[in-house]
Amino acid sequence: MVSDLLLTPIIQHIVLAYTALLVSIALGIPLAILALYSRNLQTFVMTSANLMQAVPTLAVVAIVVPLIGIGFWPAIVAIILRALLPIIRNTWIGLSSVDPAIIASAEGLGLSEWEIIRYVRLPNAYPAIFAGVKFAAILANSVAILTAMIGSGGLGSLVFEGLAGVNMMKMLSGALPAIGIALFLDASFSWMERRMVPRSGQSELE
Amino acid sequence: MTKRFGETVAVDRISLDIIGGELLILIGGSGSGKTTTLRMINRLIEPDEGTIAINGIDIRTIDGIVLRKNIGYVIQQIGLFPHMTIRENIGLLPTIEGWSREEIDSRVTELLTLVHLPPDQFMDRYPKELSGGQQQRVGLARALVMNPPLLLMDEPFGALDPLLRRQLQDEFIGIKEDIGKTIVFVTHDINEAFRLGDRIAIMHEGGIVQLGTPRDLILNPADKMVSDLVGSDRLFEHIASLTVSDMMVPASSIISGEMPVQSAIEVMVQSGSTVAVVRDRAASFFVAQLPTLLQRRDEVKTVLEATDPPFFLSMDASLLSALEEMKAASASFGLVMEDGEPAGLLLPDDLISRLV
Ligand SMILES: Nc1ncnc2c1ncn2[C@@H]1O[C@H](COP(=O)(O)OP(=O)(O)OP(=O)(O)O)[C@@H](O)[C@H]1O
Ligand SMILES: [Mg+2]
Repeated sequence: MVSDLLLTPIIQHIVLAYTALLVSIALGIPLAILALYSRNLQTFVMTSANLMQAVPTLAVVAIVVPLIGIGFWPAIVAIILRALLPIIRNTWIGLSSVDPAIIASAEGLGLSEWEIIRYVRLPNAYPAIFAGVKFAAILANSVAILTAMIGSGGLGSLVFEGLAGVNMMKMLSGALPAIGIALFLDASFSWMERRMVPRSGQSELE
Repeated sequence: MTKRFGETVAVDRISLDIIGGELLILIGGSGSGKTTTLRMINRLIEPDEGTIAINGIDIRTIDGIVLRKNIGYVIQQIGLFPHMTIRENIGLLPTIEGWSREEIDSRVTELLTLVHLPPDQFMDRYPKELSGGQQQRVGLARALVMNPPLLLMDEPFGALDPLLRRQLQDEFIGIKEDIGKTIVFVTHDINEAFRLGDRIAIMHEGGIVQLGTPRDLILNPADKMVSDLVGSDRLFEHIASLTVSDMMVPASSIISGEMPVQSAIEVMVQSGSTVAVVRDRAASFFVAQLPTLLQRRDEVKTVLEATDPPFFLSMDASLLSALEEMKAASASFGLVMEDGEPAGLLLPDDLISRLV
């Protein structure tokens, strides 16, 4: 297991949060695209995504244990359950809120469904997707602290051990890097967003 | 074809032949089925009944995507892609088709020039940075990019103010000549229809009420709705599209040159005409005017001696140019010939009373 390796808690934490985030992106964006074409899937995805939002994070972490046990992978699952929602919801909203006239003109030009997604819907959804991914990254970062309770290791272990042993230094050595990572995530996503989102698409959604 | 949307019959058993190279106008009130008809041609909508063939090929046998890539379509709302520059908007289809960047740039340059937008100024702008009229031109350029033989245009100038609309129509008339395509053009502006259309189909409640050239519609409106729409009772508005044959008086009888003047006067008075066509022995034609005959009936014996050489006109000459020629020649009327025989007379006095 990864958590058995001699990684520093910071690296453990980052691996944990980012693996979960990448899987969430890899699952969430295709699911949102599929939801465009199936009303049933759309209802299912959006309802379950919203439901997950309503469940307290601690409960999400706890519910994973009886289902798949403890350790790194169950922790990943718990983080994904949290991070998926903003990605799916924002992607779906971004993809489906494109001006119908623009879709109509793309169809009229002879673009296929996939080409419409690729060249019209996705670029128009970038700002929304970015906002969703950024929010998901910050969520993943904080859930990855909590998952130390179910044996994920990482910075959370330092925080919990510090709390249990009333060891302020130990607790802060876990909490401060986590805060630092959150700030770094926020800044780097904002930077990427400025780089990647085309300038006129942006004003459309803000 | 017929197309229903639930209870609504959007298009009701229409039948339409579009001639290669023509600009066919579909005109009618809101909800009369114009857009639906247009979208059936490129299979964005499938008819419930009936078939459409292009060059004899049933379009249902052609993949919709392939069909649409070969039919230019300018939608009612223009629909430029807001996240793409003008270059990218026009170049999207070529990009998908795998053209090189140089090929795309040169095609975009060519098309922007065609629609009167200086390429170096407009290439890299976003649609939001363009006025309505400029966006409309880009929409046209984008529809033309793959050089489709057929072009569908849905109220392309509908949202523009009258002045700009007129300007774009003028430009479009020029472009139309250059590109030589078959065009189906939707509008609800009858003046636009007359200015641009080779033929006009008038739609009402999903059906085609009448299909014809502007002249057909003006001179032989199928019903009151058509005559109100095209303004058949205000013919002078359409003088530019009339020909000599539309306004001539048919030559009722031809008088022989030998006829005594007195008999000729009687014939003319009886038929109520003031001008008559006269044929001499050599089968040349002249015209006799009643006032002249009356004046000179004591000096001359036969009608031929009191005739004037006619001013000849052909049937299909435009009315306006015929009138100009007559004025230049100081002719007070014209003799309209068809296949070497007199077909009728163009009498300006009579013309005025019919035009107004
Ligand atoms: N997708 C649709 N679903 C249901 N009804 C439709 C649909 N499209 C068109 N209709 C109906 O069909 C009829 C014809 O519509 P169409 O869009 O062809 O009219 P139009 O002549 O283009 O009108 P306009 O000048 O307003 O654009 C209308 O009654 C319209 O409400
Ligand atoms: Mg319409």
